[in-house]
Order: sequence, then C-alpha cells, then structure tokens
Amino acid sequence: MNDWQSILGLPLWALLFVIPTLLAALSLIYRKTALRVFPPLWRVLDRLYLASGMLAASFMCVILLIIVAQMISRWTGTTFQGSTEFAGYAMAGTSFLAFAHALNHGAHIRVSILLNINDFTKFWVDAGATLIAAITATYFARYAVKTNFLSDILNDRTQGQDQVPEWLLALFNMITSSPADWGTIWANAGSGWVYTPVWLPQLPMSIGTILLAIALWDNLVRLLVNGKTNIVGEILE
Amino acid sequence: MTELYATAIFLFVLFALLGSSVWVGLALMGVAWVGMELFTVRPAGDAMITTIWTGASSWTLTALPLFIWMGEILYRTRLSQDLFRGLAPWMRWLPGGLLHTNIAGCTIFAAVSGSSAATLTTVGKMSIPELRRRGYPEYMIIGTLAGAATLGLMIPPSLTLIVYGVTINESITKLFIAGLIPGLVLAALFMSYIVAWHFFKKDERPEPEPKMSFGSMMKESRFLIPVLVLVFTVIGSMYFGWATATEAAAVGVIGALTLALIQGSLSWDTFSASLMGATRTSAMIALILMGAAFLSLAMGFTGLPRALASWIDGMDLSPVVLIAALTVFYLVLGMFLDGLSSVVLTMAIVEPMIRQAGIDVIWFGIFIVVVVETAQVTPPIGFNLFVLQGMTKHEISYIAKTAIPMVMLMLLMIVILVVWPEIATWLPNNMRQMGG
Repeated sequence: MNDWQSILGLPLWALLFVIPTLLAALSLIYRKTALRVFPPLWRVLDRLYLASGMLAASFMCVILLIIVAQMISRWTGTTFQGSTEFAGYAMAGTSFLAFAHALNHGAHIRVSILLNINDFTKFWVDAGATLIAAITATYFARYAVKTNFLSDILNDRTQGQDQVPEWLLALFNMITSSPADWGTIWANAGSGWVYTPVWLPQLPMSIGTILLAIALWDNLVRLLVNGKTNIVGEILE
Repeated sequence: MTELYATAIFLFVLFALLGSSVWVGLALMGVAWVGMELFTVRPAGDAMITTIWTGASSWTLTALPLFIWMGEILYRTRLSQDLFRGLAPWMRWLPGGLLHTNIAGCTIFAAVSGSSAATLTTVGKMSIPELRRRGYPEYMIIGTLAGAATLGLMIPPSLTLIVYGVTINESITKLFIAGLIPGLVLAALFMSYIVAWHFFKKDERPEPEPKMSFGSMMKESRFLIPVLVLVFTVIGSMYFGWATATEAAAVGVIGALTLALIQGSLSWDTFSASLMGATRTSAMIALILMGAAFLSLAMGFTGLPRALASWIDGMDLSPVVLIAALTVFYLVLGMFLDGLSSVVLTMAIVEPMIRQAGIDVIWFGIFIVVVVETAQVTPPIGFNLFVLQGMTKHEISYIAKTAIPMVMLMLLMIVILVVWPEIATWLPNNMRQMGG
C-alpha cells in the first residue's frame, strides 16, 4: 500500500504538507483578506479544541472510576475482567484528546532561548518552530489514522480479556455508513459481548492527533495574520 | 564509524530542533524520524505508531494523570494557608524559627504533589509574605524555598520518577519508596543549614515568636492533620503492598476531593479547574513520552546505545567515575532542558550503560532526580528560579545567588547517595509488594 497515494489528483503529501504551508504563506501576504475570512473559522475551532479537552478530562474521570471499581471488585472477591486494558484505553483517550487543548494553554513545553532574544526573532523563530511542529504533527496524524484503519481492516482484537457489547460497535458502524443501511446493521448486531476490536480505543488517537495538527497549522496562520498565536499563558523559560 | 556518524546526526538534528523552540515531544519525534529514514529500511511511520500506541495505552501510565490530579485538587484548596498556620507553632521552637516552615511545608506538599513548581507556589504564596513580615532576611527566605521546593520531585509521588519508571520498565512503587528516605535526608540537610544560619548569624535573627498554648497549637493545625493522614495512607498503602501505585493514586484523588469538600473549598469551578489543569499537564508529559518512545526505537535500530554502552564498558571506568561524569552531563543538560525532558531524552542511551556497569536502576532513578532537580535551581534555565521570579519580582541572578548554598547541599546529597547507596535501596528491598 502506497502511503502517499493520490487523492483528487494530488499526492497525499502535497495535500497534507504543501497546501497548508501555502495557505499560511498566502495569509501572511493577504492579511486583510485573511482577517475577514478566518475569524468565524477560528471561533469554531476554539470550541472544538475545548470540547476535545473536556472529553479528555472525562476520560480521566473514567480512569478513576475504573480503578475504584477494580479495587472494590478485588475486596468483594468478584472479578472485573479487562480492567487494566480499559484503564489503558482511557489513558490513551486522556492524552491524545487533550493535545490541542494543552497546546493552546501553553502546557506543552519547549526551549525558548531563541524566542526570548527580541520581538523580531520571537516572531520568526516562533513561525519556523510552529511550521516544523505542524509538519511533524501532520505526519503523526497521518500514520495514526492509517494504523487505525488497518486495525479495522485486519480485524485486530485486543490481547487482553476486555470485552465490549456488540451494539456499541454497531453504533460506530452506523456513523460511517449510509443511513439506508442503519436498519440492517442494527438488526444484525448481536446482543452478546465480543473482545474489543483495537480500532475502537484507537479512535481517540486519530481524532486527537488530527486536532493537534490542525491546532498547529491554525496557530501558524494566526501568528502570521495577527502577529500572535492562540497560545495563552505559556511559561517561557 | 557508522555509530560516530549516527551520533553526530542525531545530536545535530536534536539540538537544531530543540534550539529552534519546537515543542519537546514533537522535536523528539522529528529526530527519531530523521534517524529512521537515514539508518534503517523499516517504514518509519508505521513503526512509530505501533510503539506510541503500546506505550500510550499502557496500564502503568495511568498513575501519572491521577497523581497530577491529586496535587491539582489540593493546590486549589486552602492548604497553602493551612500549611503555614499549622506548621508555624511547631517550628518556632527550633533554632532558625519559622524558616523551617519552608522546608517542612515543602516536604508535606511534596508528599501530595509530584511537581516542584506546584510545591513552590503553594508553600511560597503564604510563607514569603509571612516570613517577610516577621523580619527574616530575604536571602534566607528565597534560598531555602528554592531549595526545598525541589523535594517535590524526590518525595513520592514524583512525576519524574513515574516517567523514569515507565521509560525503563521498572516498578513505580519501588521507585517511590526508594525516594522517601533520600527526600527526608535532603530535607534534614536543608534544615541543618537553617540551624547553622541561626547560630552563625546571630544579628539576623528576628524577634522570637510569642508563646502559644498547646490547645491553640492543635487548633491552628487542625487542617494539617487530615492532609498528613492522606499522605500516610497513600504512601503506606504502597509500602505495605495493599495497593499498586495507580490504586494509591486513585485513593489520593478521592481523599483530596473529600478533604476539599470538608474544608468547603470544593466548588464546581475548582473541581473542573483541577480536572482540566491535570488533563493538560498529563497530556504534555504524554506527548514527551511518545516522542521519547519513538526516539529510543529509532536509536535502538541504529545500535547506538549498545555500542556506547560497550564503549563505556571497554574504558573500564569505576562506577564512581561514571556517576561523576553523568552528574556533570546532567547538570549541563539541565541548564537548557527541564528535568522531565532530560530524563526521557537520555534514558535510551544511559539505561544500557548503567545496566552494563552494574548500577542499581532504582538507585539510579533517585540519583537522576537529585541531579536534574539541582539543575532546576541553577541558571541560565532553572524552572524553580523562574517561578520564584514571578512570585517575588527579584532578579533571576539574585535568586540564583541565594540558592547557591542549597545547590551545594544537593551536590553533597549526591555524594551521600554514592557513599551510602543503602539509603535509597534499603526501603524498597524491604517492602511488601503486590503484583502488577
């Protein structure tokens, strides 16, 4: 399988890396137009980052609940099958989904010796760093999505003892298929439990890495247009 | 020759990316990608995600967000005031007086929080103005605080130790227990410095504190006692093998929430603020860990760590010389990087080296924490110095100068660890451990 096959006549790498870079460059040149076009999009994106961060936070509560449940089941002598796997999935959800939110709150750390020299270096070093970071994050997201799809195609199942109900899988299946097929999918979904297919817990990885990539491109554009990024409260060492 | 070439490339790309202010986690991924593309024929992207997914969804890592959350909750309660008010009546008997609240406060808060910045702000918020009002000399207030805050990463729970344990696949519980005595010894060193100040600088002593009855002493510290109970439950449950590190963390979160509720400082706002804050910090560390996992995979393919380890082995260094060299190395690295990043960044290389040299990895974890923490109070890049600058508005150079005696004590601590390694290894070897 070619990792960078063409979509709509353009190789994937051009779509993922070149077009956003060009977009950023254009928005630097045509600042006024960018200031008219982008703000509504920015408002939507800001809500998206926050929503993803809140989802990540709720996964953290899930970790807590799973571990408490695990302790209680041990004391009462019952077994909670696959609790460690579920806690691990929730852990992945917490980390990946919070990436973009953490970025915009200046939680991710970086060395800032060059940033602190003066305003000129701050602007250009920041732009360069954000561009490199955006490209890296896009690469990260591209392979996260690929792995996620492969897990589905190869029907990869968990190594542990964790099981999920079939109706839950059917629900996710319905999202990706046309409404005309919903009835059949729902009817075919059994009422039993199956070993967790790996694509399910990997969904937060795909979503989170895509959002991180978007957030970095977004920050690059905002920096070039506004002269400052969307990052608040960053502690610059 | 390939190894030399590979080392040069890795180092160059690493410093270029880190130096140009790319976020640490993503910079590590970039370096790893360059390494994979240049030195292996393996598909870099697929190998990267496989490694990252395995690491990111691991059960051992779940202790990290929970311990961060526990610290965040207590950070947002009235604990800051209570620490000072509760400790002050007990500390006024000691030579050096209330300065000891800095050390004792940091020690206690360190036992509920894994970060030294949080320890510094929580204790400093209250103790700096109170100590100033009582006329203690400024350099003693700032210096002892800068030093003592580093205990945040020594005394369990410690974020650096979790990250170290996850990176090298060692028991986090053991590492935590190992950090206990060295942390207390370091606290004792700081306190003896204050006692020495008391006897050598008689003219700088402020007025002694007014007397207080035992009853009112107990009343002042009534909020402190539940916190201490929480500390002993969390650490004790790990030591006696009742709970894994993750379970102890869960107990800690619930305990902290209960304390905040009883104290009346738990509102929806503080709850969600602590939750979101913890989520962000944990995501930050997770990104660095992911980058580091990919980097060590890439370096593993080049054979670099093994080659370096056998090269060091071939030089036939004594462990003491090796440790001395590593101390200097980490102090220099710590001038530019924060503690967490320097630990994860170097572990792929250093781990085979120390295992080859027959150094106990649990002991090494404690050693590395002391060293990177020393780097946090030395300029030019010292995180604690920046936090203190924000709080006191003093120049960085002044704060760094006041912290010099503490840095000396921490270097002394490294010597103590080398001479008596048992203070780190005895307790974990004698605890009861549960599986998992």
